[in-house]
Amino acid sequence: MTTITQDNKTPFSSKFLQFYKDRTLLAILLSLFAVMFVYGIFFTDNYLTITNFKAIIRDAALYGIMAIGLTFVTLSGNFFLLSLKETASICGVTFAMGMATGFGSPDLVGNFLVSLLAALSVGVLSGVIQGYFVGMGGNPIVVTLGGAGILYGIGAWWSDNLVINFKRPHDAEWLGTGSFLGLPSITLAFILIAIAAELVLRHTNFGRKVYLVGANKAAGRATGHENFSMAIIVFTICSVCCAFVAVAFVAQMDSAQSNYFSAEFGSSGDMTILVIATVMVGGNSIMGGYGSTLRTSLGAIFIAMVDNMMVLQGFNSGPRIVGVGLMIVFSIIVFGLFAKGSRAQE
Amino acid sequence: MENFFKKVTKDVDLSFAILLSFCVYVFFSLNIEIFFSHNISFAILERFAVLGLVGLALTICIIAGEIDLSIGSNAALCAVIVVKLTDPLGAPFAMLIGLSVSTLIGAIQGFVIAFIRIRAIVITVGTLMLLRGVALLIAEEKTVMLTDFRVPDFITTKVLMYFSPASLTVIFIFICVGIFMRYTKYGREIYAIGGARKEALTAGIPLRRPMVIAFALSGFCAGFAGTVIGLKSGTAQGLGLQYLLLAGTVAAFVGGVSILGGKGGVLGAAIGALTVNFLNTGLVFYALQVHFVQLFTSVLLVIVIVFQTMSRVFDSRQSRKSLLATIDERKTTLLEKKRTVLGK
Repeated sequence: MTTITQDNKTPFSSKFLQFYKDRTLLAILLSLFAVMFVYGIFFTDNYLTITNFKAIIRDAALYGIMAIGLTFVTLSGNFFLLSLKETASICGVTFAMGMATGFGSPDLVGNFLVSLLAALSVGVLSGVIQGYFVGMGGNPIVVTLGGAGILYGIGAWWSDNLVINFKRPHDAEWLGTGSFLGLPSITLAFILIAIAAELVLRHTNFGRKVYLVGANKAAGRATGHENFSMAIIVFTICSVCCAFVAVAFVAQMDSAQSNYFSAEFGSSGDMTILVIATVMVGGNSIMGGYGSTLRTSLGAIFIAMVDNMMVLQGFNSGPRIVGVGLMIVFSIIVFGLFAKGSRAQE
Repeated sequence: MENFFKKVTKDVDLSFAILLSFCVYVFFSLNIEIFFSHNISFAILERFAVLGLVGLALTICIIAGEIDLSIGSNAALCAVIVVKLTDPLGAPFAMLIGLSVSTLIGAIQGFVIAFIRIRAIVITVGTLMLLRGVALLIAEEKTVMLTDFRVPDFITTKVLMYFSPASLTVIFIFICVGIFMRYTKYGREIYAIGGARKEALTAGIPLRRPMVIAFALSGFCAGFAGTVIGLKSGTAQGLGLQYLLLAGTVAAFVGGVSILGGKGGVLGAAIGALTVNFLNTGLVFYALQVHFVQLFTSVLLVIVIVFQTMSRVFDSRQSRKSLLATIDERKTTLLEKKRTVLGK
């Protein structure tokens, strides 16, 4: 992962090459970026405008934040959650309930802070419970598949499968549709969360532990870092990210329903799979211990860029889903071939 | 018969599955008057034709130590192909094409997994999205429909009171796969690479062959489930059938497979699928919304997982305890030996 460079006098070009060699996948991603970008400039109308660029980043922000949360889970070697969209949907329903009805008490109707806290605590709760089962030794895929059904069922039950509306002048507008410094607030949140996550992973004790447990579970256990507590913490981080995205999305739509995040979200099918795709296209190792949130953010922007280009070229949802699917399969195979013969091989 | 009883009592998970399915059946029979009747049994077997196959597909994958997430998309793709081709080509030929496509997709997945040596969940998440897109492309983002309804009528006719051509075919597939998994070399190889992969590879079993066979079989089963659904209803959608993954996983886990691989069997898959069918059919009588069915199915899955995980933790603790006990015993015998030698 990290290399120790002793000679500082090497010329820039060889340093650049060394950088590329160490980060082959990042390099591939950046090259693909460049190719797509150039292609977009020449063959798509209205591609190279500030408005469109803002739209791309805004698209990327919604699933990028969730993907950054998921990166923690992936890095710690717990694969991924299949309950991302269900967690988001139940948190969105909670938030909308708070904004519309105040959870039964008339004083709290439209109280942004209480609704936000309620939504986040639902996220924390679902993360802790799922993380507990995974930490106990359950398989993350199966546990979260079951968790997904339960979360969706409870969310739909609570909201009676209806759309919960709340009226326009509300306290959450700044988060949903407002903007600071010319950027939508959700985009700013994405940038801030990406920077914070990268700093946490690189420069804190906890971040290094995530890498350690992900890279080698046995070594982690031997040095006293059990996967039990790690699973609970990373699942909670991921669920809180989902809750935050749900709150922002609901604030934008002024309404919530339990299948807002289900099929046909955005454009590329299922939200859960889209987020997992983001993590994988970024080139993070799904076995854990290798990758970064920077890659994930780049993956999110890349997927949003390609999707945006296909929309501008007038493709239907079928070819767009095929495009994203091909990207995932391609990145998995390339990553697998590069990692062949190393420890990623079990 | 005696052998069967011995096997059931020896296998904790299988006996748990039988007990669970019995409990669910008795619960609904006591609460709903008409549940214990010929017609309901026919309805349960009709559902079994779909869900049993999906459960079987996931069971084979999990026995090989992997999990196939792309089952719903594979089934949807096959359903779209079969429904689209039935009108111009006739049902048998359309089924042939659809099933060979889904089997081929499964085989390619298995080959990639064995060749690159990655976990199946990684590649199947990708193919989940890719196949869904391909199904949408083939269906041109519309719902594909049959115009000739003789085929749906034929496959849902009652035969022998409880069966229909669809469920008879599915039972036949179950028996064939069961014999294949239990009594052939290739079937045993799938168990070997699931239960103890390193040991199996060291013993000379190639990884590629069992992996390709396992995923081809699971692709075939998923495709057949999609075919049955598509031909029965006469319609197919590119985005449909995603619920099959949850239902199939529940069926497989209730049937006693272990996520670590190498455990479980076709009999378990059948019992697991029946349990889920009892639950789904029973819930129909309470006129609940769809999300409640999903909720209860997930609760069933969580119960089974908790049971399995607890029994695994308990087993490992027990084995550790017995290991410590044997070490203690050896220590004391050694000490005694020493003492006797020194005493002399």
